[in-house]
Amino acid sequence: MPVVHIVTVVPISVTVGANRIVPAVAIPHPLGNPKMSQEEEKLMRREMVVKSLETLTTDISEQTVF
Amino acid sequence: MKLEVGNIHVEELAFGNESTLSGHRVEIDKGTLINFIREIDHRITEVKLDIALPGEKTRIMPVKDVVEPRVKVSGKGHIFPGRNAGENDIVGEGRTHVLKGMTVMTTGKVVGFQEGIIDMSGTGAEYTPFSKTLNLVITCEVDDTCNQYDHEQILRTVGLETAREVGKLAKDAEADEVNTYETLPILEQAAQYPDLPKVGYVYMLQSQGLLHDTYLYGVDVKAIVPTLLYPTEVMDGAIFSGNCVSACDKNPSLVHQNSPIIHELYKHHGTKYNFMGVIVTNENVTLADKERSSNWVAKLAVQQGWDAAIVSEEGFGNPDADLVMNCNKLEGAGIKTVLVTDEYAGNQGESQSLADSTPKGDAVVSNGNANMIVELPAMERLIGHDTYVDMIAGGTEGSLRADGSISIEIQAITGATNELGFHNLTARQG
Repeated sequence: MPVVHIVTVVPISVTVGANRIVPAVAIPHPLGNPKMSQEEEKLMRREMVVKSLETLTTDISEQTVF
Repeated sequence: MKLEVGNIHVEELAFGNESTLSGHRVEIDKGTLINFIREIDHRITEVKLDIALPGEKTRIMPVKDVVEPRVKVSGKGHIFPGRNAGENDIVGEGRTHVLKGMTVMTTGKVVGFQEGIIDMSGTGAEYTPFSKTLNLVITCEVDDTCNQYDHEQILRTVGLETAREVGKLAKDAEADEVNTYETLPILEQAAQYPDLPKVGYVYMLQSQGLLHDTYLYGVDVKAIVPTLLYPTEVMDGAIFSGNCVSACDKNPSLVHQNSPIIHELYKHHGTKYNFMGVIVTNENVTLADKERSSNWVAKLAVQQGWDAAIVSEEGFGNPDADLVMNCNKLEGAGIKTVLVTDEYAGNQGESQSLADSTPKGDAVVSNGNANMIVELPAMERLIGHDTYVDMIAGGTEGSLRADGSISIEIQAITGATNELGFHNLTARQG
């Protein structure tokens, strides 16, 4: 089953061997950003989630940071 | 930059009619000092002073900071610089006196969930360096207009200002011993011992935010790019704690004042190596910050001409990634590293110790496993509040038993696995 890590500290996911990695915003708020307006933040979050879903159907041959 | 540090060994601490230092005895005028503390911030509602001495059946919790009373005798600046108007001079030169063996400790209702326990006797006492010191403990509460950040800032200021106030007693005292530390401007320092390897210290400071903060000359270090310090600056309080992260491996301000790796590096400076100085860096919460800061660490180390570096971490978890980045980039630049950390390896030590790893980290000092569980007996006297045992990091529901005894990870004990080697734990490969 394909799995994607949405993660802030990408090198840790690389070290532990995750195959699909999507970089996140920050450790206390991986899919949010308190500096944005709520509308902008929601758009950003949707983009990240959609991107992450797309990685699940993307063929890869090695550990990949999207 | 040259600093003389004169220690006055405090062997007795008591309350008295007047605040005095007489020989090796410190007396504190409780009423006057309480008034001094109440004046620090109008939002303070309650101040209590206690003395906790080694061997007593006393528990102090939740402990926020531990501070050493120091005073500038000569030379520019103020202890814990950069906080108050007119106190922006660079410190680390001249002469500083220390009331050695006593501390000022702050407690009160919990600010962050990772504040510590200090037992003055029993099993817990073995796991904290502050069971051996004479402690002046401030229990300080604030009004309900304060959010967590206000609360932390007020308690931090109370600890630092009170330690400075008590430190003034040492200004005209005769020191029992005087140690002199000197680091020259970089070109002169490099030329002083041209045949010895140039060794530097990378001093990682907690800066994750959300009450995991450290200050450099009053600046929140999450906002700095890595920079250089003369080692003596920290002895005058250039770095101080605003950190409520895990009690076992955060650095209380007293640990920064006595920064063990700096003092140890001075011991063989000029004989085994040339101790060039300190790079201070942070542990921020975005990948870009981590990359930038570790890039700057390596850049500054190369710029300083270092051959080798000791790198110490503060805290655990994602800062392990900063530690590994610093290691990889320094080693990549041809600078040998020794890493100093602690471990979160599970109760039995069966789990991965750090969140990240690198084959280049082949010289590592561990200061113990924070997940180890200990049994703390009930104490006769409590300073602070023990109702938080179940919620602080290292505790779980049921950690505090009805009889007052506690079963808890040493993570919850102040200084237990201090990553600068301030206490006595270490770990070996089994």
